[in-house]
Formats: sequence, structure tokens, C-alpha cells
Amino acid sequence: MQVQNPMTESVTPNQCPLCAQPVPGGNRLVGEVLSCDGCSAELEVVGVNPLRLEEAPEVEEDWGE
Amino acid sequence: MRKVDLVYTRVRTEEKLLLEALRRRDCAVNLVQDSGMVLSMDRQRVTEADTVLMRSMSFTRARYLATFLEMKGLRVLNSARTISLCGDKALTSAALAAKGVPMPWAFVAFDEDACLDAIDAKGYPVVTKPVLGSWGRMVARLDSRTAAEGVLSTRFGTGGAQDHVALVQEYVDKPGYDLRVYVIGRTVGGLRRRSEHWITNTARGAVPERYEVPVVHARLAEAAADAVGGDMVAVDLLETRGGDIYVNEINHCVEFARSIDETGVPLPDLIAEYVASGAGGARR
Ligand SMILES: [Zn+2]
Repeated sequence: MQVQNPMTESVTPNQCPLCAQPVPGGNRLVGEVLSCDGCSAELEVVGVNPLRLEEAPEVEEDWGE
Repeated sequence: MRKVDLVYTRVRTEEKLLLEALRRRDCAVNLVQDSGMVLSMDRQRVTEADTVLMRSMSFTRARYLATFLEMKGLRVLNSARTISLCGDKALTSAALAAKGVPMPWAFVAFDEDACLDAIDAKGYPVVTKPVLGSWGRMVARLDSRTAAEGVLSTRFGTGGAQDHVALVQEYVDKPGYDLRVYVIGRTVGGLRRRSEHWITNTARGAVPERYEVPVVHARLAEAAADAVGGDMVAVDLLETRGGDIYVNEINHCVEFARSIDETGVPLPDLIAEYVASGAGGARR
């Protein structure tokens, strides 16, 4: 497991923020939801070029179906 | 060529499939994230598009955005009116009641004691749910006065004035499943959700199954969609053990990722077809 430098940004480009599994970039959209191949976490694209990912947020109160 | 803005919160499987289906129909689709939108209170154009497919996951954002985009002359699917009615379960019930659509009996109350008295008069069990929110969150079955006191003291004792409304509904003892009928202009198919739990929701682990929608169910779902002016909605039906059929809820942002394989209903294509057709919207 890769140890992150606490002084750098918590979101490392091109990898899962939970398990550090590399995630392929290319043609991604901000807001796109991905499933990590490493830990199966739901990830949300928060930036492209470079690709930045965060754990997808919990359901908000007024999110319906 | 139709120009479509697809407004989204997150690009989930649904949004990806809709985007592809629209592009296959030669629609020029522009993806717009709801959090970045700023709309001025005038009729100034904000987009090259003529149609907005509203896929915001937030009821608050969807309702306001649809309202202001319509004010600016755009065709929004679903319309602001449909979103406002479907997003609030008390208003959905009122719209259904106004058109005489069969549904479980229901009432709203604004005070804990008044609500308890009304439930006592009806008898237990009953179901209470928040007027906003879904995926089965905070839906409670009240089997006794004691349970009702606990749930209602939380309902009325926390949150703000807008939370202090209780929607109480008849508890329908359903036969281990409920039914969802998709109405995209007209009934296009459906889904049976089977669960041992009384909350049958695929987001809560209910198992989707194929279901051929009988004409009676289709007519009921279309009447419900009509009551809220819905262009593309999912209508939840409840079947009683006695064989009666009721409309329970109507969803204005149709989700299908968990069930598309089982239903065999090509929802992304049917929705894209409807969007491309130019039908519907508040301006019809
Ligand atoms: Zn991971």
C-alpha cells in the first residue's frame, strides 16, 4: 500500500483515494461515477486533466429516485 | 437536429446510457452539472438547447432549475409542475385524489397530538413517511400507539417548520412484492420488486423481476401520470391481498440501472425517443 505524504493534496491524481488502485483516465466527465476495480468503492470524478477522484458522497436528504 | 441539455448531479449508469441513446438519435447533447448552474430572473436565453432533460438527483435543485428554465422558454422534461408534485408525497396524494385515482387512504397532520388522535381513530398499523425524500428512507410502519408516539415525537420535535408535517397512509399488506410501471408518454413496461421486507425498494435490496403489465395496471399508471402531468415517470403500484390495486408513489427521475437487465424494457432508448420527438413539456 502506498503511503501518502500528508503535506500534499489528499486527492492523488489517477488513483483510488481509498486503495490507491490506478484508475484509467481519458474521456472522463466531472460528476461521473465509477466503481474502483481494487476495492469496489463508488468513486466520483471531481477533476479531469489530471484525473482526480473522491469517494462518492453519501445520499443527500433530497436525493430521490 | 434537436439540441438537448442533460442536467445532472452525478453521471451514473442511467445518465451514461441516456447520453448514448440521445446521440444515437442525432441529438446534440450538452452535459450540464446542476451545481454549476446560475440562472438569472429574466427571460434571457441561457443555452442553445431547446430541450432540457432534467436528471438532477436533488429535488430542490430540479424543482428550481426546471421552473426557471421553463420561464426562459425551454421545454423541460419532466416539467417543473410534475417535479414539484412528485417530489412531495403529500402533493402527489392531493393530485391523485383530485383526479379520483385509486390510492391508499392518507392524511397529513401538523401537530403531534392531532396526528395521534387521527391515527387512533383509523386504527393500527399505519405507515408514516416524510413528504420529501425517497429510496424508502425514514418510512416507518406504526403498529401501536407507543410506536406512533416515538416516531411522531421525533418527527415534530426535530428539524424546522418544513419538517413538521406527517403524512400518514394506510398500511397495505402486500403479497411480498410491489409493482413499478414506467410511463414514457404511454406505458412502456414494468417491473415487479420482490422482498421479504415490507419496504420493497431495489436500492434497499429488493429483487427485480420481469412483469408483463396488464392493461388494468397500465391504465391506472397512465391516469396517475396524467394527474401530475408527467411525461416520463415511474408509477409505483400496490396490490392488496384482496386484489385491489392502488397508486402509491410517482417518481419523476426514472432510475433503471439496477433493473434494466431483468425488465427487458429499453428505457434509455424509449426516453431518448420521447425527448427527440418533441412531445410533452410544460408548453404543450
Ligand atoms: Zn479502491
